[in-house]
This record gives sequence, structure tokens and C-alpha cells, in this order.
Amino acid sequence: MTAEAAVHEQFEQHVHPGASVYVTVAAFLVVLTALEITVFYVQALAPVMIPLLLILSAAKFVLVAGFYMHLRYDSYVLTSIFGFALVIAAVLLISLLLLFTYLSHHLWFAVPLARILLPGH
Amino acid sequence: MAAQPKAIPAEYPSYLKGDPISWLNTIDHKRVGVLYGVSALFFMMLGGIEALLIRIQLFEPNNTFLSAHVYNQVFTMHGTTMIFLVVMPLLLGFAANFLVPLQIGARDVAFPRLNALSFWIFLSGAVFLHMGWFWHHGGLPDAGWFGYANLTERQYTPGMAIDFWDIGLLILGVSTVMTGLNFFTTIVTMRAPGMTYMRMPMFVWSILVTSILILLAFPPLTVGLIFLFMDRFFGTHYYQAVAGATPILWQHLFWLFGHPEVYIMALPAFGMISEIIPTFSRKPLFGYPMMAYSLILIAFLSYGVWGHHMFATGMGPVADATFAITSMLIAIPTGIKIFSWIATVWGGSLKMTTAFYFALGFIVEFTIGGLSGIMHAAVPIDLQQTDSYFVVAHFHYVLFGGVMFAILGAFYYWWPKVTGRMLSEKLGKVQFWLTVIGFNGTFFPMHFLGTWGMPRRIYTYGSGMGWTFWNQFETVSAFILGFAFLLMFINMLRSLRDGEIAPADPWDARTLEWSIPSPPPAFNFVTVPSVSGRDAFWARKYGTGSHGAAAVASAGDPPNGEAEAIHMPEPSFFPIVLAAGLLLCGLGVVVAWWRLIMAGGVILFLSIIGMAFQYPTFGQHTHETEAASGGGGEDLRKVGLWAFIGSESVFFATLIATFMVYKSRSMGGPGADVLEIPLTSFSTFILLMSSLLMVLALAATQRGDKTWQRVWLAGTVLFGLIFLGDQAYEFTSLYHHGLGFTTDLFSQCFFTLVGFHGFHVFIGVVWLSVLLVVSFMDRLPKSRALSVELAGLYWHFVDIVWVVIFTLVYLMQKVKGA
Ligand code: HEM
Ligand SMILES: [Cu+2]
Repeated sequence: MTAEAAVHEQFEQHVHPGASVYVTVAAFLVVLTALEITVFYVQALAPVMIPLLLILSAAKFVLVAGFYMHLRYDSYVLTSIFGFALVIAAVLLISLLLLFTYLSHHLWFAVPLARILLPGH
Repeated sequence: MAAQPKAIPAEYPSYLKGDPISWLNTIDHKRVGVLYGVSALFFMMLGGIEALLIRIQLFEPNNTFLSAHVYNQVFTMHGTTMIFLVVMPLLLGFAANFLVPLQIGARDVAFPRLNALSFWIFLSGAVFLHMGWFWHHGGLPDAGWFGYANLTERQYTPGMAIDFWDIGLLILGVSTVMTGLNFFTTIVTMRAPGMTYMRMPMFVWSILVTSILILLAFPPLTVGLIFLFMDRFFGTHYYQAVAGATPILWQHLFWLFGHPEVYIMALPAFGMISEIIPTFSRKPLFGYPMMAYSLILIAFLSYGVWGHHMFATGMGPVADATFAITSMLIAIPTGIKIFSWIATVWGGSLKMTTAFYFALGFIVEFTIGGLSGIMHAAVPIDLQQTDSYFVVAHFHYVLFGGVMFAILGAFYYWWPKVTGRMLSEKLGKVQFWLTVIGFNGTFFPMHFLGTWGMPRRIYTYGSGMGWTFWNQFETVSAFILGFAFLLMFINMLRSLRDGEIAPADPWDARTLEWSIPSPPPAFNFVTVPSVSGRDAFWARKYGTGSHGAAAVASAGDPPNGEAEAIHMPEPSFFPIVLAAGLLLCGLGVVVAWWRLIMAGGVILFLSIIGMAFQYPTFGQHTHETEAASGGGGEDLRKVGLWAFIGSESVFFATLIATFMVYKSRSMGGPGADVLEIPLTSFSTFILLMSSLLMVLALAATQRGDKTWQRVWLAGTVLFGLIFLGDQAYEFTSLYHHGLGFTTDLFSQCFFTLVGFHGFHVFIGVVWLSVLLVVSFMDRLPKSRALSVELAGLYWHFVDIVWVVIFTLVYLMQKVKGA
């Protein structure tokens, strides 16, 4: 078998999930979104709202990327491209949040501290 | 695609043959490379002259050769030019373009038209940066190459210069990202059969990693420049303390790009050195796997060190310490590389050519720059050194002593392949020694001056400072350096006129580009080579043992190569026209002339459409894809689109991060609680369901079911339109509740983020509508399912971005956050 034929074979082997899979995924997406909105409105859940919302939206993210964007069925190369980009994106987002939080807290501490340490100012 | 084998002529004309017009519509990667090279050499002269102007001004105390205002413009344009118009186009535009396809045994890059487009957009961006010259109120940009906020705001720097800088860099960024996308896809999908990742030449490795860096590092810069644009044109306050915002945000966004940018310039240089040194040491590269892994490690770490440019901003001890540690960690993979190069030279039978001289010079000078870099990774030391001439010394040791030495070595090494002529080695060695003397004489004393307190970016100094002698010494040395470059240009011109004709393999080299004639024919390889080991060409010549001189094969094609049909894509004028449209558009924005914007926009639009319909193998697998050994068998357009999606992810992450940081700093104004959850919940359902319709459209296409293909495509478009309608309604009602674009920090970030997402939805709607039209023209059969799949991937990506926005922006509106 030539290399070309091998590649062709691989092309054909890509599984295309049927409509029923797509509709099931859609049902899950709807339910997850409904849950998210519930979390938003139910006061009792307020203390755990952030982790709950993050988990629910991450689940939606994975469903769309895995099934609708075919990552589950395609070559691992595509998943690694997206995965690596997402790691960098997350590092960027989290570190900016930390840097600015830290910065403001730092200043927040600094003012009263200075009052104590530098009497007369 | 049934390929009719064509008879291959006995003589292949060189890629350089052809009338002058054929250079304007060329899409041959080698010609595009030469176009980049020639432009970059021109800008090298310009940037060099600017450097000499700086040095003349600093020759003596209280000099009046340049005014302070002109001096600012000169050093800003010197830095901007050297980085964006000289080093990057030489490394990526010229060297990578010319060499990567040759070294991986391909006939062109993955997207040849996009490649030509990158060049023309690069050129229009370069012209754009200099346009201020021609306006009375213009002048050249003068806020330094990293344009710190809030100096760049309209009230502190009125006039058009910063506008030209801002939009010029945006244009250059578009070009660079397209280039990164192209090389990434090329290397992943188009390697010759047998060329696994661990058999790629190290230069190809370096370009692969650099492309990833480009794709993931340019978005923060793009976002930063867009914010600056909005501040200057629409009255937002992204970088001004007035509204609770902070100029520090710009520094973060800029250096999030800026430090990876340092490695975007350094890694290809490392790659070049890794090709030159083994060839002239006549030994394989020492520690090949470690060399590849260290490239990856450097790239990864380079995202976590940007704060070392900001120690003086008071990030606090924890952040300072973190960035100091990550910065010092980079020394480990870099040290691995330096030791591997030395170990390659060690015990080799050295051939002392000019290229090798420059490579050895690189090791020495770059190491000096690396050492001073480690010095200012230590925060207390950096606080003394920052913004002093010590830093100028440091980055010239890495950029000039490192990158520029590598480029000069590469010139001498690959010039015969590019032009078919040899350069004079004698003149080359004179140039080398003058460069070493001039370079160290110019930049080494800057370490002293910086330590003695001479600040960077001052246009003059007093005579009592004690800085005069070394400044004079530096200026004299700089002229020696300039003279060395003059010798290089003379050498080039002489070689072009009557240089010795270069054989195919003048250096007895190791990689595939030397297996074909110098200069190569337009299609590169008569037969796509098949590769069975590292140093593919060397193995073919001498067998796999690296020292043994076994049966010497000819430098021609491998034996029993079968002739194949060669399809080269047609040339195209659309890239140059499109770039011209972009230039006009940008100019129209800066001078606020609507007709120009419109004219440019029309040209832009028509040429995009033209280019799309010129795509000959629309929906077909091209020859290259079939022969590809990489990419897991995925089509190259799919790999390219995923790389683009990766880049877009970082773009949106930057917008979201800004929103979250600024939301809690917003003062006055209605705040986030005005956002309506019921309305946007509805929008969310709509968008999710549109994704369902989209996959159904794809499934119908794959079944060859035209009717349902149209129904589902139309449905997706419709749902997209409903989403956009919702958003328009939301924006107007917010506006009526007193939340305008520039009301407060929250509103400007909200409208920017959600607006950019809406814009992506709009692009998706246009894309899908085109597919719908094509479907009604009966030109979207089963065999073109990939076209539907690509549009779908983009559409779903826009959908998942909304999933994130809906949660972080809308549902978490009460969270005070950062
Ligand atoms: C003939 C060779 C060169 C000379 C004599 C030279 C000289 C200088 C001097 C004196 C400055 C400091 C200006 C100031 O702070 O007032 C400077 C800045 C700079 N140079 Fe060079 N340079 C040369 C080549 C290069 C090269 C090859 C690169 C990059 C690859 C480069 C990149 C820069 C950058 C980024 C700046 C900072 C500009 C800024 O502060 O905004 N230079 N150069
Ligand atoms: Cu840095």
C-alpha cells in the first residue's frame, strides 16, 4: 500500500456520528444551560455559585468541542493544537487576574500600614 | 483529481527567471522570500542610518545635531524598524519562506496565496509606519518601540504619528499571524514521506516552534493596540487613571507579546546556527533531541516571564519573585543549546568559512548578552539597571550579537542557493572582523555607561557627567560597524554581477535544499524525496554513518525516482491589490477621510471575494496533502483553521481578562447588574441550537443530501441572525438605560468584548450565507463536505466563546472578582 493510499484510508476511517448523537448532545447542552440559569437565580446556591457555574460551562465547552467540532473523532493533532492554545489562554487569564488582585490588595494593605509605621503623615 | 503526468523538460529554468511583472503576482515561496529579503535589506539600511544618527547626536555633550523631538522619533523608528521590518522579515519572511519547503521536501508552503498576501500586507504596514513623514501635523512615531501608555494617549501625544504607529503595527501583526499560520500548517502537514518530527532539520524545528509562539503571542498585542485605537479615536479610557483604569494594563499586554517576541526573533536564529555549525564541523548536531526539546521548553517558559520588564512598576514581592524565578529558569534550556553547539564543534574537522565565523561569533556574543540578561532577572539589580544604557547593551548583545550575527552567517551560507552565485570569502572575513570590532566597541562600553547612570533614551547629556569618552568611543565604533555592512552590500552586488557560479552543494551540506540545483527550479523537486533518517541529504551522499565517506552519490535526484506530474498553483494579483486596499483604508482612518475608507474598503472586499473564488482546488485534496506524512492525515486547511482557532482563543482570553480586571475597578456608572439574564439566556439557546443545525447541515452534506443541506444551512444562518438581532436590541436598551460605550470602565470593556464576539458571529453568518448560495448553485456536493466542515468549525468556536462569555460576563455579574 502506498503512503497515499494509506492516508486515503485514514480519511475514510473518520467516523461521522449520526444525527441522533448530535441531538442528544443538544439536549445535554439545553439542560446544562437551564441548570446554569437556575444557579444564577437560586439564592441558596450563592456560596458555591462560582465553582458550579465554572463546571457547568466547562461541560458545555467540552461537549461542543468534542462532538460538534469532532475533536473526539479526529486526529489527536487537532486536539493538541487547541489544547495547547487553551492552556496558554488560561495561564494568561488567570495570571492577569492574580496580578491585578494582588496589586490592589497590596495597595490596600499599604495605606493603613503606612499610617501605623509613619506617624505624622 | 486525476493527474495527467506531464513530460518534464530536460532543463528546469531557475525560479528567478521571468519578467519583472511576474514578481508582482508571484506566489512561489522562494520568490516571496526574495521579496521579503530585498525589502528587509532596504529597511536594514534605513534602521542602520537611524542608528548612526543616534550615535552622532550622542558623540559629544550638549550636542545640537538633532533636537529632542527628532531624537525621539529616530530611536523609536530605529527600534521599531529593526524588530518588525528587518529581523522578523529576514528570519521568517525570507529565510523560513525560502528554506522550510526545501528542507522538508515540499514544493511550496501550505497556502501559497496567503503567503504572497502576507508579504504585501507586510509591505503596506511598513510603508504605513513611515507615512507620518508626509503630513504637516504628522512626524514619525516618537513614543519608543514599546509605546508606553499613557504617553501614547491623544492628550499627551496629539497628531497622527501614534495613529500611524498603532495601525501600522496592527497591519504588520495581521501579516505575521498569517505567516505563522502558514508555516505551522506547512510543517505539520507537508513533510516529505519519512520525515518524522525527529528527523526534521533543526531550522525547521525552530520555525515550527516560532510559528506557535507567533500564533499565541500576537493576540495580546493586537488587543492592546485595539484598546489604544479606541482610546485615541472613540474616547474610551483603557490606559488612563481617570476612570479607574491603569496604564499598567498596556505594559502587561505589550510584554505578554513582547517577551515571546524576543524568542520569535531568537529561535529561528538558533535554528540557523544549528544548521551552519554541523555542516562546517562535519559532524551531526550534538544532542539533537535535547536541542528540539529545549526549543519547546524555551517557548513555553517565554510565556511566563513577561513581568521581568515591569519590575519597576511595583507588582509586589510575590509577583516579582515569581517572574525572577521563571526568567532565570530560561537559562537552563538556553545553556543546553550553547553546550550542544560547542560539543558539535568539539573534535570536528572544521572548515573555517565566513558563515562558520559568524556562527562562532554568535555563540560568544550571544552568551555575553545572555549573562547580562540573567543579571537583570534579579529584581534589586534590575531596579538599578532598568532604563539605563546597561539594558541597551544587553539587548543589543542578544539582538545584534545573537540574532544579527546568525542572520549574517545565514547570508553567507545560503546566498549561493538563493542566487546561484558565491560571495567573496575574503571580503566576508574582513566584514566579520570589522563587525566584531565595531559591535563590541559600540555596545560593550554601554555596560559601563549604564552602571554609571546614563539613562536610555536621552537626547543629550552634560559635559560634567564623565560619559563623554565612552560615547565618543562608541560612535567611532558604530561607524566601523556601519562600514562592515557597507562591505556586505558591496560583496552582494559584486557577487550578483560576476560572482563565481555556485554548484548545487558548495558546502558539502546535510539538508535537502542542497540536493537540488542552485538556484532551484520553480517547483523545487522533480520527485518528492523520501527520507529515511536525519541529515537526509548527507545520508544519501555518504550512507548513514556520519564520518565514513562511503560511495559518493551525485548531488542530483535520488536514483530510481519516478517522475510525477507537478501542479503549481496559478499566480495571482489579488494579494497586492488587497494589501493596497488595506493601506488606503488605514490611511483613511488616520486622516478621517470617509471616501478613502470607502474606496479602500471596496477594494479590500472585492479582492477577498476574488481570492476566494480563485481557489482552484476548492474542496479537493491537493497533491501535497495526499503525499503528506504528517498532520495525522488531516487536510491542511483543517489544520490551518484549528491553528487560527487557537490564536483566536488567546485573543478572546485577553479581552475577557481585561473585562474581569476592569469590571471591579470601574467607578460610578450603573455596573454589571443592568445586564439582562432572560434576554441573553434566550440568545444562548439560539446559538447552541444553531450549532446543532450546523452539524446537521454537515451530516446532510456528507450524505449528499442537497435538500436538507440547504434547510439546515439556512436554519443556521437564520439563528445567527436572530442572535445578532437580540444583541442589537440588548445594546440599544442598555444605551437607553444610560450605559453608553464610554460611560465607564465596565461599559467600554463590556461593549468591546461582546461586540467583538458579535462581529465574529457576523463573519460566520456571511461565510455560511456564501455556502448557502454555493449550495443553491449546485456546487456543494459530497466531495466538498470539507468546505462545510470548516465553516462549521468556525461557527462552533464562536459558539463556545459565547458559552464562556455567558458564564463569566452575564451569570457572574454579581461577582466582584479581581
Ligand atoms: C549599527 C548597529 C546599531 C546601533 C549603532 C544601534 C544603536 C542604538 C542605540 C544607541 C540605541 C539607544 C537609543 C536611546 O535609548 O536613546 C538603540 C536602541 C534600540 N535598538 Fe539599536 N543599534 C543598532 C542595531 C540594532 C539592531 C540590529 C536591533 C534589533 C535587532 C536594534 C534594536 C534596538 C531597539 C529595540 C532599541 C530600543 C528603542 C527604544 O528604546 O524604543 N538595534 N540602538
Ligand atoms: Cu523579556
